Amino acid sequence: MPDVDVLVVGGGPAGSIAAAEAKRAAPEVSVVLLERDRAIGAPVRCAEGVGDAGLREFADPTGAPWTARKITKVIFWAPDGTEVKVAEREVGWVLDRTRFDAFLAAEAVSEGAEVRVGTEVTGMRRDGDRWVVETRGARGAETIRASIVIGADGVETMVGRWAGLDTRVPSRDMESCAQYVVQGIDFDPDAIYLQFGDQVAPGGYAWVFPKGVGVANVGLGIVALRADGRSARGYLDDWIAARYPAGAKTGYTVGGVIVHTTVKRTFADGTLIAGDAAHMVNPLSGGGIVNAMKAGRLAGRTAAAAIREKNTTADRLSSYHDDWMKLLGDDHLKYYRIKQALEDLDDGFFNALARTVNAIPTPKRTLGRIFAHALVKHPQLIPVAARFFF
Amino acid sequence: MATALLYKRNGWCNLQPMRVTRPAEIAVVDLSLCDRCGLCLPLCPPEAIHLALADLVVDGVACTGCRKCVAPCPVGALSMVPNRAAA
Repeated sequence: MPDVDVLVVGGGPAGSIAAAEAKRAAPEVSVVLLERDRAIGAPVRCAEGVGDAGLREFADPTGAPWTARKITKVIFWAPDGTEVKVAEREVGWVLDRTRFDAFLAAEAVSEGAEVRVGTEVTGMRRDGDRWVVETRGARGAETIRASIVIGADGVETMVGRWAGLDTRVPSRDMESCAQYVVQGIDFDPDAIYLQFGDQVAPGGYAWVFPKGVGVANVGLGIVALRADGRSARGYLDDWIAARYPAGAKTGYTVGGVIVHTTVKRTFADGTLIAGDAAHMVNPLSGGGIVNAMKAGRLAGRTAAAAIREKNTTADRLSSYHDDWMKLLGDDHLKYYRIKQALEDLDDGFFNALARTVNAIPTPKRTLGRIFAHALVKHPQLIPVAARFFF
Repeated sequence: MATALLYKRNGWCNLQPMRVTRPAEIAVVDLSLCDRCGLCLPLCPPEAIHLALADLVVDGVACTGCRKCVAPCPVGALSMVPNRAAA
């Protein structure tokens, strides 16, 4: 039965960064990363948008083969279609996740981690101070003994479950998402577009994220509790039929985005969970790539230090949770309260807000100014703002 | 019984009385529609849904028939069927 110090389950951004960081922090620690699917990065379950500053903490996107498009504008569509442009600067990137995830995994390998694709964990049990992890893959069934298991296994996290962590989420905080790659459509390829509205995407938003000129990820997320009986894919088909009737749908994906706050415990004896598995997505934006990488970095470093100290108890690993909460988790509590407050506002409000913002000249449209104008014109926003500060 | 133990372990609903009758309906997955995205797993209060070798499995014994997984499925792969084990 092979022994490994750190076993990372899941080859997304959280897992690959965790594996790389554990090796970087302690080269003598053995690290193995398992990916269930046959290829790192596929299938893509993501709109692939990422902020510039966060991304640069981990990789330089300039000229990188794993970016699809640089984004310099953000355009909102109000429920009635009113267009609001809010930024004109370097805001972010649309990635090519197939290549980006493979790039991150390759970085982990170059740090000395071992990556095994097509290998699924089928169960794990505690034996003394180790986990006995059952896997199945190209090499058949195998058992691995691991001192620390990092669960970076996404919304469906089984690692969290096996370790006794509560990773369940209430229905109101689950965004059901569907997305097509649509070709041959007309839009500004330097902009991302977001549309809100109860008819378009109740409880979420619809998006157009460019992959190139005339090609985009077109998708939406809904909260099923607020929907009219159609599935996420049903809403999307209707939206695309209305907006891009001539577009060719050349691919589709579906998935869940948990817009909640971090799970109460992200650690257990010999276990850390990171990224979507630990509900680390920004509950307001639904963005999770950079958050996952930040959590992966903390998890990898914590795991490496714990192995060195020969102490992998929950007590030792709890510093990971505290570090995450200080870094972003506490902010998410605030964002979540804002999200809840915004849920009470209707389409009429957002249409009016769009007109207020459009009354501010574009060059002066900073977030601060938008906020100040909005508060004056729309007193309904005062409780929303209050939730941010208290 | 297994369900009651799960409730207890996770403290999800400590006040729920232990169920003695089986639910009239339980969830099933249509694997020809299912995209294996895993969205339904964290929605299931008794954790009755698993991904086993990449295929979705609903544990018909643990399922309480709460329907929380049905509407959120982005492709409509989950539905309710009469529970043959219902008392």
